Amino acid sequence: MKSYLFLLLLFPFAGGLILAVVGRYLPRRIAEWIACSSVLGSLLMAILAFGAAGGKRYLLTLLEWIRVGDFSASMSVYYDPLAAIMALMVTFVSSLIHLYSVSFMRNDRDYVRYFSYMNLFVFSMLVIILADNLVFLYLGWEGVGFCSYILIGFWYSDVVNATAGRKAFILTRIGDVALGVAIALFFLLLDQFSIFAINAKAPSLSVGTATLLGLLLFWGAVGKSAQLPLVVWLPDAMAGPTPVSALIHAATMVTAGAYLLMRLFPIIALSPTTLLTIATVAAFTGLFSALAALGQKDIKRILAYSTISQVSYMFLGVGAGDVAAGMYHLLSHAFFKALLFLGAGCIIQALHEEHDIFKMGNLRRRLPVVFWLFLAGALSLAAIPPFGGFFSKDRILLSTFSHPEPIYKVLALIGEIGAVITVLYTFRMFFVAFLDRPSVPEGFEKKDLKIPKFMGWVNLPLAILALLAATLNLPGSFGGNEWLAHYMASLPGGVPPYSAPSGLEWMMEIGSGLLNIGLLVVAYLLYRPPIRERLHKLLFSGFYLDRLYQIALVEPYQKLAKVFWLNIDEGVVDNRFDAAGNTFRSFSFGLQRWTTGRLSTYLKMLFLGFTAIVSALALGWYYLR
Amino acid sequence: MALYSVLFYVLATVLLASTLLAITRRQVVHAVVYLIISFIATGLLFYLLGAPFLAALEVIIYAGAIMVLFLFIVMTFSVESGETAKGEIYQWLPAIGLGVISFFVGGVLIFEVPGSKMSLNTGMATPTVFGQFLFKSYWFPVEIASFLLLIGLVGALYLGRQESKKEGKRPEDKS
Amino acid sequence: MVPYGNLLLLAFTLFLMGAVCAVARRNLLMILIGVEIMLNAAGMAFVGASLKWQLLDGQAFVLFIFAVAASEVAIGLALIVYSRRRTGSVDADHYNLMKG
Repeated sequence: MKSYLFLLLLFPFAGGLILAVVGRYLPRRIAEWIACSSVLGSLLMAILAFGAAGGKRYLLTLLEWIRVGDFSASMSVYYDPLAAIMALMVTFVSSLIHLYSVSFMRNDRDYVRYFSYMNLFVFSMLVIILADNLVFLYLGWEGVGFCSYILIGFWYSDVVNATAGRKAFILTRIGDVALGVAIALFFLLLDQFSIFAINAKAPSLSVGTATLLGLLLFWGAVGKSAQLPLVVWLPDAMAGPTPVSALIHAATMVTAGAYLLMRLFPIIALSPTTLLTIATVAAFTGLFSALAALGQKDIKRILAYSTISQVSYMFLGVGAGDVAAGMYHLLSHAFFKALLFLGAGCIIQALHEEHDIFKMGNLRRRLPVVFWLFLAGALSLAAIPPFGGFFSKDRILLSTFSHPEPIYKVLALIGEIGAVITVLYTFRMFFVAFLDRPSVPEGFEKKDLKIPKFMGWVNLPLAILALLAATLNLPGSFGGNEWLAHYMASLPGGVPPYSAPSGLEWMMEIGSGLLNIGLLVVAYLLYRPPIRERLHKLLFSGFYLDRLYQIALVEPYQKLAKVFWLNIDEGVVDNRFDAAGNTFRSFSFGLQRWTTGRLSTYLKMLFLGFTAIVSALALGWYYLR
Repeated sequence: MALYSVLFYVLATVLLASTLLAITRRQVVHAVVYLIISFIATGLLFYLLGAPFLAALEVIIYAGAIMVLFLFIVMTFSVESGETAKGEIYQWLPAIGLGVISFFVGGVLIFEVPGSKMSLNTGMATPTVFGQFLFKSYWFPVEIASFLLLIGLVGALYLGRQESKKEGKRPEDKS
Repeated sequence: MVPYGNLLLLAFTLFLMGAVCAVARRNLLMILIGVEIMLNAAGMAFVGASLKWQLLDGQAFVLFIFAVAASEVAIGLALIVYSRRRTGSVDADHYNLMKG
């Protein structure tokens, strides 16, 4: 177990270090291999650790680190179900994104810098996930911030990118100060850096202290996860390469804040004030960013605001006391958001760095693979049943609604409004970008939309997961087995403190499901090609009746006839006869090769015959004996 | 008795060795000479197996006539070795393979017969006894054999003759 | 002493050696030599059998084998000389007009 976790952390660190030091001298493929295999190695270790742990918790020390006087900090890890699931998700998404990056950055010459920082980022994120010692966690926390800064400003020759990186770093730093103060306070009050010990000693704190600590931690999380008011860095952070946006600003770093709160949940749960603050800020952030997303033109900025909104749902879950719901949404969000970002990366590269969705169109025809993958992500994001995002978001809203305090009901309502707007902006983005538009700009049709096929197909696992994330925690009222909830039941906050009557649950699910689907239709109506033209076309062709018959009757018949002709008549009947004839031909050709006319061949055959006869005699003798 | 087996095995070794050498020589003349040794050893073996008349005949006919005939032909038109090293392995490999298989199968066959473990008796068929037996029981095949030799003679003569002038061809003389 | 099987085995080995020689060599003369070795080996088997069964029939047969071998060699060599005169080669692979 210890070796699994040690290697889990070692692989990306070693990969990053090797690339940083000697990456320049290695051939390109080798460097890419090192980067990808280090993360894949971590994934393997995460799977092995998950399998070996089986739901138990482990507190292990990997390395003695600092020891000054009577102050010591070691690199110790606390591996509980929360960390297990998070580690699996992070390594899995990181592996896919690394593979995608190999293809995405194929024309970039700075790939060594990119991959070494990506590896170091993964290492830092895994440190945050696994760390038990708060100083160790702070190391990871700073590590992700630093790597994020570097990677956002990756193309630093353009000043805008460098400025965006600085903005991100400074804003998250403001949050990190609070975290540092919180860590110092923990040491002062409890004489402990270990998360496990702190959680155990949590009840010994007074409510006031717990509130202070909780708020400090929350402020740190706000910085990292881009909630109000430290929110402005994330949309600008889209200046970095798209895989960076996918990894850091969708699946991992921005969720680190929520994760931190979940790890130290016993502290936070002590103070209802903290919980309320978290939930309120989260709800308003969600609404704010959803509205903002509705007005964006740049596809990546839409997704950035969407991330802010979705992360706020995770915080809302924590604020309502249901860590399992927050984690559930974190997982499904990681999958579909990474998928959407990678799909957006495909589109952007195919269209030669075009980000404006109003300049895109007809992509359904021209990039069909991306179309379907993006659709999968969009369906999940918009929480259309029965896909992943629906169940997770609904569970959060349900937990919020079931909270006894009346203000939570208001917050749940705000959350629901945010979900409504989510559907709208998601499908606005989708329909405008992908559907046929009669009025596309000049020259667009002639552009060559070539991207490596690999970039599209790497997203397939994500799409499958995004769609099927529902199975992780299907609510009991639908006959599911709530696997995630059971898995996390042993954690503090794993079981929602307030459960709703199942009738309410049903109502909410069905209600919000119908609402979402209805909004999808509304979005479609709003954002598809103009109405007048379509109406005219409809009436002109007699309500498309001809086309209906064509599709329903004529084409199937033609297809069937073709099948019968090519496959059955020619394939089966004719080809069988031909095949029979051909076997005879090839048989005789084979025999023909023996008539070489040469004496040596015939002599060999004579000898062969002799051997055969003698062997037959021996066999006969043997069996008749 | 021990001398008998010693002689047998020594002769057997000589026989096998010389035959092996004979079949692997590039030059035909070398092969023929080794074969002469082999036949002489066979003759001695025949004597050991109680057939002195046949031993003499072996040496006279086989080693003395047939091999000499070979040598005449070889030396008459200085046969080039003809076989290059390139394709040789493809010739030898199937032959040796089949040979090995046959050897094992035949070995199995030979030693499965109950009588094969028995030692040979000694005996000696003197030429007189042999001659009497031959002309008593096998006189007809003897006549046939002589007929056969006549046919061989005629055939060899015919095949070996030069092209005659009345057929309009110049005789080729490759001596 | 000497088991009968050993003698038969010796004869069989010689026979196989002759067969290998006939099959593996391309020179017509060597093929003929292989045939000779085979005939000789057969004769040896006959003599051995005759010694075992204490009958002279085997030895008589060997005599006929000699006769056959001699005439066959004569004709064979005459044929070889003839073909060499006609085609100039004693390579067995040269005579492949029967191909196909």
